[in-house]
Amino acid sequence: MEIKIENLNKEYPSREKGGSPTKAVLDLDLTVKDGELMGLLGPSGCGKSTTLYMIAGLQDPTSGFIYFDEDDVTHLDAEKRGIGLVFQNYALYPHMSVYQNVEFPLTNLKVEEEEKAYDLEYEDTLLNILKNDEALIALIKETITSGKKSKVALAEALIRSYHIAPSLAKTIVNALKKEGESYQHSINVLAAKAEGKKGKILQRYAKQGIEIDEQYRLLRNGEPRKIQRSLTKDERDTYVKETAKLVQIEEYLERKPSELSGGQQQRVAIARALVKRPRVLLLDEPLSNLDARLRIQTREEIRRVQQATKITTVFVTHDQEEAMSICDRICVMEKGEERQVGKPQDIYKDPNCLFVAKFLGTPPINVFSGSVRSGKVYIGEEAVFKGVDIPDQEITIGIRPEGFKAKPKKTDLKLHLPIDDILTQGRDVTLVSSSPLVEGGIVKIIVDSDLPFKKGEEAFAIKPNKIFLFEKETGKRIRF
Amino acid sequence: MDKKNKWKAWLYLAPVLILMAVFTFYPIISTFIASFLKDYNNVTGENSGFTFYNYQYVLGLAERYEGSGVFFKEFFSLNPAEHSAFWNTMFITFVTVPISVVLSLAIAILIHSIKPLKKIFQTVFFMPYVTNVIAVGMVFSLLFSQFGVWNRIFGLSTAWLADNSATWGGVMFVLCLYIIWSALPYKILIFLSGFEGIDRQYYEAAKIDGAGRFKTTMKVTIPLISPQILYITVTSFIGAFKEYSSVVGLINRSYSSDQNVQDLYTVVYWIYDQMSKGDWNTTSQFADAAAMILLFVILIFTLIELWVSKKKVVYR
Repeated sequence: MEIKIENLNKEYPSREKGGSPTKAVLDLDLTVKDGELMGLLGPSGCGKSTTLYMIAGLQDPTSGFIYFDEDDVTHLDAEKRGIGLVFQNYALYPHMSVYQNVEFPLTNLKVEEEEKAYDLEYEDTLLNILKNDEALIALIKETITSGKKSKVALAEALIRSYHIAPSLAKTIVNALKKEGESYQHSINVLAAKAEGKKGKILQRYAKQGIEIDEQYRLLRNGEPRKIQRSLTKDERDTYVKETAKLVQIEEYLERKPSELSGGQQQRVAIARALVKRPRVLLLDEPLSNLDARLRIQTREEIRRVQQATKITTVFVTHDQEEAMSICDRICVMEKGEERQVGKPQDIYKDPNCLFVAKFLGTPPINVFSGSVRSGKVYIGEEAVFKGVDIPDQEITIGIRPEGFKAKPKKTDLKLHLPIDDILTQGRDVTLVSSSPLVEGGIVKIIVDSDLPFKKGEEAFAIKPNKIFLFEKETGKRIRF
Repeated sequence: MDKKNKWKAWLYLAPVLILMAVFTFYPIISTFIASFLKDYNNVTGENSGFTFYNYQYVLGLAERYEGSGVFFKEFFSLNPAEHSAFWNTMFITFVTVPISVVLSLAIAILIHSIKPLKKIFQTVFFMPYVTNVIAVGMVFSLLFSQFGVWNRIFGLSTAWLADNSATWGGVMFVLCLYIIWSALPYKILIFLSGFEGIDRQYYEAAKIDGAGRFKTTMKVTIPLISPQILYITVTSFIGAFKEYSSVVGLINRSYSSDQNVQDLYTVVYWIYDQMSKGDWNTTSQFADAAAMILLFVILIFTLIELWVSKKKVVYR
């Protein structure tokens, strides 16, 4: 399902009397395509979580629209939107077991369907199984050995071979428990009971003047009727187990959340959000409470689950690496406004403003103040780059750490930088340098580890696709 | 903690420990001992040795005077019609505690869910807490006098309290009403502060999960304040077992001028009476025995509650 956000605004009234309201989200337009994993990325206070909560329906927009496909859900109650939300601190109910936590959304769910005689279907299914008693006895003998565990095994075998509900399997297993009687006898007793029940059920429906067709639909005046009903325990059980399997928490279902690690709790939270098959999955900083290693593991897990379910997902984070690694597209936000939307690599390669350029990438981009004079870019008095076809002006220059070419040719324009430190990190080498013209005073340069470097001054050429020019005042990108 | 600092800790604790030793531990031990002494003199400490008679007497198992055939039923009797102190106390406890806990929880939930006037309601419901028990008791006895407000409202002319026609049932009704009313504010306060401590995200999660208001209250709010509910339940039971001042405030000594109608005793009231009968050397050991029985009963109930709570209480 597609989420479309149009002109969305959120203002919080000022705390002081007469103060101007705080604008949390400003004129946001955003489309999340069907099945897409969209990342909302920005520093804290940029309005990304507010946006998410407005999509969820937990906060009411001041103005603007939110559409789920064609439906306007702007002011729809959260519970009617059919969304799953994973909270930053999971918000698992501490008094419920993992199973109950995941089951909870299902207990509130209503499904619409045609009225059916489930009680009759139940007895008929039972009778059908019992009718073929030879096959049943063979199955029982095969499974049962002794002790209590075999009961569970038998129930599981019945569910597997007959595709029946757990409650029905339990009925059969319990009927067999009387020791000293042959299985054949137990089966006969159970069949007689089921026949009796079936007769009573038929009588009851007949009394009410209700007919029943082959699909067990109830026909009142010859017409099936649609009703809303809650999920049965068997249905809930199936959904919970399925979802638990998807996020791999089957082993922990009987535990309390407090007995789980952070990563496991996060899986439970995701299971709870997914179990009711929501149209949209929303994740609010889902990894921020995890340690570094779990974070990488869990984010891949989220990606895997999202790919498996193909559910439209919005993922809020302040960690650019996280967003870049798992999102199909990201929306970078600042001060409540959208700065850039696109595929992570596209935005990284082609940021449209200084903020985006600075926000994406580790180590962050090096930001110099400089100028353009007659088609050349100057940092200080050094011309470092040429072929810039823009009017002369003071500008801000962004150069990615990997944008420095070491050992340049003689003909290249060069930037001279003193190398203060050399940090080797496996494949790459980071040179730490300093310049009074760079923001923060420190320049980081990533070079190939094959090249020999030593402390002292070094000259670098700038790679043309790694240098970005921005307007001095507004930070807007200047394309050349 | 290292050894060097241990004596310092004891030093800081000393004032409290000394006070507790003098005013709590010593009296408990002394009460325990005295409850097993025959003909104990409260002033001189004279006695005629170890005996179980005090307990037998209090529990109505031994004759009052040897050979008299009269058993003492004022403190303990399983016959409701005899209105023993023990029976009265049990009645008060098992009527007022459940009602006041459930009622205060309901009121707290209501107060918590309204936004406007919240502070006013909070104040109104907290009023009884800061009002003097005896004074409130006297106001209640006015409300329930023959020409009091209660009778006016319901068009009755019952004499609820302190009259020849007052009945045990009538007095008990007013008494329970009074105890419940005065027990509400503290409980509401505790529950409200419990609600404040619940993370808003649980409610947001419940909303996303599609739970209605009632279901959210039953499945989320109440389980999350189960520690407070346990605390309130345990302290309420203990408080109710020790009920005394409300009886004094409401009916003073006796609800009937008829000499044949005995006082509406509660356990503590009866203990107090035995202690203050003037005759120091005749009845104080019975009060001691009764006090030990009360201690035992409270202990048993508290242990039961804690045992039940182990399964039901979730600490966040």
